[in-house]
Amino acid sequence: MNLLESLQVAVDSLIANKMRSFLTMLGIIIGVTAVLVVVAIGQGLKTEVISRIERLGTNLLVIIPGYGRGRGPTTRPGRLTDDDFTALRGKVPYVKAMAPTLRSSAQVKYHNLKHSTQVIGTTTDWVITDNATLTHGRFFTKSEERARANVVVLGAAVVEELFYGRPLVGEQIRINNIPFRVIGLLKEKGGGFGNPDDQVVIPLSTARYRLFGSRYLTTINVSTISPDKAEVVTESIKRVLRRQHRLGSGEDDFRIMSQTELLSTIGEQTAIITLFLGAIAAVSLLVGGVGIMNIMLVSVAERTREIGIRKAVGAKRRDILAQFLIESAVLSAVGGIIGIFLGVAIAAIGPRLGYQTSVPLQTIIIAFVFAAAVGIFFGYYPARRAALLDPIECLRYE
Amino acid sequence: MASLSVEETAVQSDALIVTRELTKVYAMGDVQVHALRSVSLTIRSGEYVAIMGPSGSGKSTLMNLLGCLDTPTSGAYYLLGEDVSTLNDNQLSEVRNRRIGFVFQTYNLLPRATALHNVQLPLLYAHRVSRAEARRRALDALQQVGLSDRAEHRPRELSGGQQQRVAIARALINNPDIILADEPTGNLDTQSGAEILALFDRLNELGHTVILVTHDHSVAARCKRVVQLLDGRVVSDELNNASDDRR
Repeated sequence: MNLLESLQVAVDSLIANKMRSFLTMLGIIIGVTAVLVVVAIGQGLKTEVISRIERLGTNLLVIIPGYGRGRGPTTRPGRLTDDDFTALRGKVPYVKAMAPTLRSSAQVKYHNLKHSTQVIGTTTDWVITDNATLTHGRFFTKSEERARANVVVLGAAVVEELFYGRPLVGEQIRINNIPFRVIGLLKEKGGGFGNPDDQVVIPLSTARYRLFGSRYLTTINVSTISPDKAEVVTESIKRVLRRQHRLGSGEDDFRIMSQTELLSTIGEQTAIITLFLGAIAAVSLLVGGVGIMNIMLVSVAERTREIGIRKAVGAKRRDILAQFLIESAVLSAVGGIIGIFLGVAIAAIGPRLGYQTSVPLQTIIIAFVFAAAVGIFFGYYPARRAALLDPIECLRYE
Repeated sequence: MASLSVEETAVQSDALIVTRELTKVYAMGDVQVHALRSVSLTIRSGEYVAIMGPSGSGKSTLMNLLGCLDTPTSGAYYLLGEDVSTLNDNQLSEVRNRRIGFVFQTYNLLPRATALHNVQLPLLYAHRVSRAEARRRALDALQQVGLSDRAEHRPRELSGGQQQRVAIARALINNPDIILADEPTGNLDTQSGAEILALFDRLNELGHTVILVTHDHSVAARCKRVVQLLDGRVVSDELNNASDDRR
């Protein structure tokens, strides 16, 4: 008995019981659809987070002070200084730009509106390291930096809070009660470390001498000339800072965070979550498989006489096995295909509901193969039972 | 009226079926049921044999064994010189497919398939038969039983007699060595029954070996040889003069 004929026999019998075949397939359809939708949302989420981070610049390294073991028995907090910055600037290769920052939270005020935000004191290179763009006005200049000018560039969230989104360049606001003139507005970034839109940027000298009075730095931001140089640059930074701080290896009192590291961490995490949710969805596929097994057992019992007839006229065990196995495989494969169409269709409406979705081709293939495998796995037991039936018993069966 | 000894006929070259001491024992719980006790029988090619006996005499068991649907507990069964009592399930399927055509009391057609497809069924499990060839042979077989015009009908659209004729066409399609019929007229009215029996007569005249299992004397009377079973034993095995007279 060839495959084409077996297929014909299987399809005929499925068509003869349309409603039952459909209900049996429903389990597989729902399972495959669920898997695809979950994976689509998971992948979409990942793509979105990654693209947000990429907008911040993947070649950004941020050096922050850490707690290192010093020369005594106690640990002491590390410090980053202007000297560190100067040393790094001269010695680290593959650097596009480097900007020191001094950060602190402060209250900004415009007329009666108050808002707590992050103040970043930095240099003009920050625009390059942090990949910032302005929608209105301009960034401060080197001469303003030298002059410790009271000028400020506002992040998008702050503009929303103080100006209700209006681009009021030239207005005066107060930071910790000291008046500043708004000279520029930053473009919205969305996502990343903390909220990069809820911040205001002022010259480092102004922050240091007029606002916070600290001689240390909160971070040193380094942007490399390309993302693949991040590792070399990181190693180089470590060498320079260890020498600066007179540390042995393993005594580092600083940490270097890279966006690529963050990217891969986020990638891994969303992959785990997607896998987990996908596994839950796959359980429903398994339940669908049990449905197939159930209905195939009923079908075998119902067609006992047919099996007897086929055996009497010369069907071998493997012919009967193939017939029922193909039937369950066709059920699950057709269910799988319908599920794929449904899943892709639902994923396609996702963006309209505000969810970024994407269905990778390999997920579609895996879902289909898995569905077909479920059909064959759960169809095997009933098919084998049919194959082993005694033809005499079958022919006597009413 | 001559009684044939097994030994005499076993050596004849045209012996189609030779059984020796064929025994079948079923275990029903703790009780052993001897359905067939040492049946030795020889049937030559072209014979027209009725196997008779009351219910429980072992007719069905003998037919299942002769039809290779079952294997004996002990004894040997030679079909065309080949010992089929030791074959495995797959080999038995092949023997059934090639050598035996079954006709059942309840017709046993596939209810959803057309007459044509029902007749083709054995070819589905035969080697190397193309679809066109299968169709041609099925139409041929349907013509032999006079049902050419019913090829596309389903069993429930046919009368009992017509269904049985479809079943006979199915039995014929692989040109089997033996046609085994189990109470073929049991479910039919007298008129259709007579037609079916006439069909068997004609098939036998064309050279087919026909074995009918029946408890109906009027059916057995048409056959050339009658084997009587009782309690699993052959109690008489006679040539039928009446049938010779009829011809």
